[in-house]
Parts: sequence; structure tokens; C-alpha cells
Amino acid sequence: MNKPESTAPRPANRDAGADEGMYAKHQKVYPREVHGVFAFWRSTGVLVLLGLYYGLPWLRWDGRQAVLLDLPERKFHIFALTFWPQDFFYLALILIVAALTLFFFTALAGRLWCGYACPQTVWTEVFLRIERLVEGDRARQMKLADAPWGARKLLIKATKQTLWLVFAAYTGLTFVGYFTPILEVARGLVDFSLGPWESFWIAFYSLATYGNAGFLREQVCIYMCPYARFQSAMFDKNTLIISYDQARGEPRGSRKRGDDHRAKGLGHCIDCTLCVQVCPTGIDIRQGLQYQCIGCAACIDVCDQVMDKMGYPKGLVRYTTENALLGKAVRILRPRVLFYAALLLAMVGGLGYALATRLPLELDVIRDRNALFRETDGGLIENVYTLKILNMDDRPHRYRLTVEGINNLQLRMHRDQIDVPAGEVMELPVRLQVDPGELSARSNKIAFTLQDRDDPTLTVTEDARFLGPAPGTR
Amino acid sequence: MRIPVIQKIIAILWPSFLMAGVATVLFFTAFDPALILAHTAFADVPRLGAYTVGFFLFWLLTASSCLLTCYFQRPCDRAPGAS
Repeated sequence: MNKPESTAPRPANRDAGADEGMYAKHQKVYPREVHGVFAFWRSTGVLVLLGLYYGLPWLRWDGRQAVLLDLPERKFHIFALTFWPQDFFYLALILIVAALTLFFFTALAGRLWCGYACPQTVWTEVFLRIERLVEGDRARQMKLADAPWGARKLLIKATKQTLWLVFAAYTGLTFVGYFTPILEVARGLVDFSLGPWESFWIAFYSLATYGNAGFLREQVCIYMCPYARFQSAMFDKNTLIISYDQARGEPRGSRKRGDDHRAKGLGHCIDCTLCVQVCPTGIDIRQGLQYQCIGCAACIDVCDQVMDKMGYPKGLVRYTTENALLGKAVRILRPRVLFYAALLLAMVGGLGYALATRLPLELDVIRDRNALFRETDGGLIENVYTLKILNMDDRPHRYRLTVEGINNLQLRMHRDQIDVPAGEVMELPVRLQVDPGELSARSNKIAFTLQDRDDPTLTVTEDARFLGPAPGTR
Repeated sequence: MRIPVIQKIIAILWPSFLMAGVATVLFFTAFDPALILAHTAFADVPRLGAYTVGFFLFWLLTASSCLLTCYFQRPCDRAPGAS
């Protein structure tokens, strides 16, 4: 483990060739249960995140679902805000902020995301717990796997699969509940009136959860996760990583408690292989930084317990940096971290500003394409437009329309008031008329301005062209 | 070095899945399926149905592209014309 480049694949501590073939032949990893500081934080993270995921769709706001990415209605409701397809810009900003946050934390503390917050980790943790609940601990699970098929094994395996499927199905239901009102989904399930597309996506997401968390597990991290492959680009010698202290641990070897390891010429590692047994991806942390390591810190927890029992200081495996291991000074505030932090602050500020100044009103001007212009009986030049007025607010608005750009330009429309209900689009045909003497060119720039009657800050302006005969032809 | 079969399958289905998702979001943000289908035989298909079919069509397209990439990546034993 020298440079970030050295995170290149190294053989994991598995039988050679175990990876060949489909996951049926793939050697299953049976992670041993672990307790400790980091296990506590991971459990807390899992509980909080799952609570958010399963709870959020049931939250109400102003008489509707608080977080509803309403695909059928093409409107995203997030608490007080409602986003339209025209607001795609904000979604892009949010995604950039999310990516930068990931970069920032990766540069600072390595794979925090993978070990504590990634959905793959979170749901695998739940599936592992169900497995442990039904099949027992690691040793029992392995024994059961080797046992011949019989009534008992069938019953245990069937129970586990049923629990997995029920949990996955509820996960799928919740997922669809983010995109169509969850009350309708739940009601539809109870009285069998759920639409075919909703049913399909519940099934699809359930099976994806079941497959990823039940079977693929660490293979998702190894083969499917793009972040696992490019994260080394964000690592440097001051990044917090989980490392085995080779200088302290080697040469490893078994011994009795109370033996003087120095007399035997041994380091602190007693070679109990517990760190390998608890690893959800089945690697040996003592071989150095490997890209399969998801930074879950299970090996730290288990090794600290062993060190305690042996009477050695904790931290043979620990969160540390490459510089610290080499005995050099560790710099937390370094250009890379400051750069990500500055960029992140700028983007969050930009997003906040854009949201704060966002107007829930949009105006589109479409010129009548059939005629460039026409002359009225009174000798005026007339252009026809269709205005599309989007009231993106959650309450109705009354607007005032004005137009400028040419002297004495007259605005004519078929209604006195422009009233647009909450969240609706109004198509408003308007005619503009002007005396040809006022036109200085064939094509004249004009501007429509739409303003709320009560709130003058709610104003949008949209440019358009007014066409007429060439000046002097009359 | 041999590549596990699971990795080959994932290399076709997974990147195409991700890109099909991106394409679906971009496409249906720009175009409302209810407007596209309004004057066709599929006018009764709800938006959710149109999104679903759109997503799987995109996935078919991107997966085909991944499949071809994997196919052409196979080593050529002999250069054309070599004896």
C-alpha cells in the first residue's frame, strides 16, 4: 500500500477460481457477527436510513404526501416546494451537490459512504440479520449449507426465503409509494385494484432488492459499483483508510495468552483470522488496501476485542492514513479537501440562492404560424400570439399582462382577467395591433410582461417579434 | 486473465440499465408522453405505462450496444489475411 494506484485489484482471500462461474458456484461469504464501536454506528446508520426510507412516504404536508415525485402528474412535491419538468435545472444542481458531497467525504475519510450509508450495505445488513435470526450464527449457517437436504433444512431455508421476500415486497411497495401516492398504492393492494404498471414496478423493485441484498451482496460492490473503481482517484496519503499496522503485527503467529511474543519473535497479530471471518466481502485486511474493502470497520471492532483479550493495545487494525503509518505528519486540511469543500459550498450556495429566488410562474410566447401579420379593417397591423402561462404555485393567482417595445401597441384578448388555478397551465390567445406608421422595421422586438396583481415581485418577461410590412411600402 | 461469467453478464446488463435510466429521465423530462401519444393508437396508455415501456426500449437499445462492445472485445486470434 503505497500510492493510491496500489488499490488495484489483488486476489482476495478466497480459494482460487471460486469467483468463476455464476453466483451459484461463487463461494458464499458468511460474515461473522461483530460488536463494537463501529458496529454500533453502522447499526444506527442502518436504522436511521431505513426509518427515513420507509417512513418518508407516509408523511403528510398541507393535505398531500410530503415527498411525492408524482410521475403520473409530472410534478415533484418536496415538502413546501413543487417542481415541474421545466425545473430540471434544480435536479441537475442537486445531483452535482450530491456527487461533490461524496467526493468531499471520500477525500477526507475514505469509503464512509460504502460502509455506513450505501443502500447496498444497508439492505444487505438487514438481509444478513434475517439470515442470522433464522439460521443462527456463522458456524450454524455453514453447517446448514453443508448438511444434506431434509425436512429441517427445507423448513429453515423456506422460512428465511419467505421473510426475505416479504421484506423485499414491502421495500418495493415503499419505492413505488415515492412515485404514486402511497395511500392509493396501499389501498390498491388491499382491494386488488392496483394498476398494472404500479404492480409491475413493485415486483421489479422487490426482486432487485431480493437479488442484490440476498444473493449478489458483495459482488455488487466488486462488479457493479462504479464508485468502487474510481474512488482511488480521490484518495491520497492523508485519506483516512482502514489499515493493518504491519510494523506492529508482523511476524504474525499463534501463541498462548501470557506468552512473551517478543521472545518468540512474533508481532501483535495472533493470526486468529477473525478479521477475515467478519469481512462482508471476504478479504484479508492484512494484505493491504484492496478495492473490495467497503470500509465497514468490522475488522477493527473484532481485532480490538482480540487485542483486549491478549492485553495488547487496541488499534492493530484501525482507521489511519498512509502518512500516519509511515510516521509522517498527517494533514487534514490539504488543497484537495479545501478544493472540494469550496466547490461544495459554492454549489450549495448556488442551489440555495436559485431556490430562494425561484419564481413559481413561467411564460411562453408562441407566434401564430399561419400568417405573418394581417391588416385590420381599420388599417392597423395585427399579429396573433398564443401565451402559455404556467402557475407553478400551490395557490391560484391573478395576473396582469402588459406589452412594450413599439409605441401605441394595443393588446387585445377575449377576457378581462387572467386567473390561473394552482398548478395549472393556461393557453391565452392574444392579438397585438399597431398603426403601421409606428413600425421602423419588418421585424420588431417586443416584450410581454406578466405580473401578479398582488405581488409585484412575481414578474416574468418574455421577448417576442412583431412582424409588419417593410417601412415605406405604404 | 479470465473474467467470471457473472462479470460479463453484469457488464452488459448493468451499465445499460444505468444509461437507460438516465435516457428515460432526460427524454420524458423534455417530452410529455401524454402529448406524444395523444393522436396515436396508444392514446389510452397512462403516463406510467409510457415511462415503463420507454425505459425498457431504452434498455434494449443500450444493452444491445453493450453486447456488441463485449462481442467485439473478444481477442482476434488471427489478423485477417494472415496465414
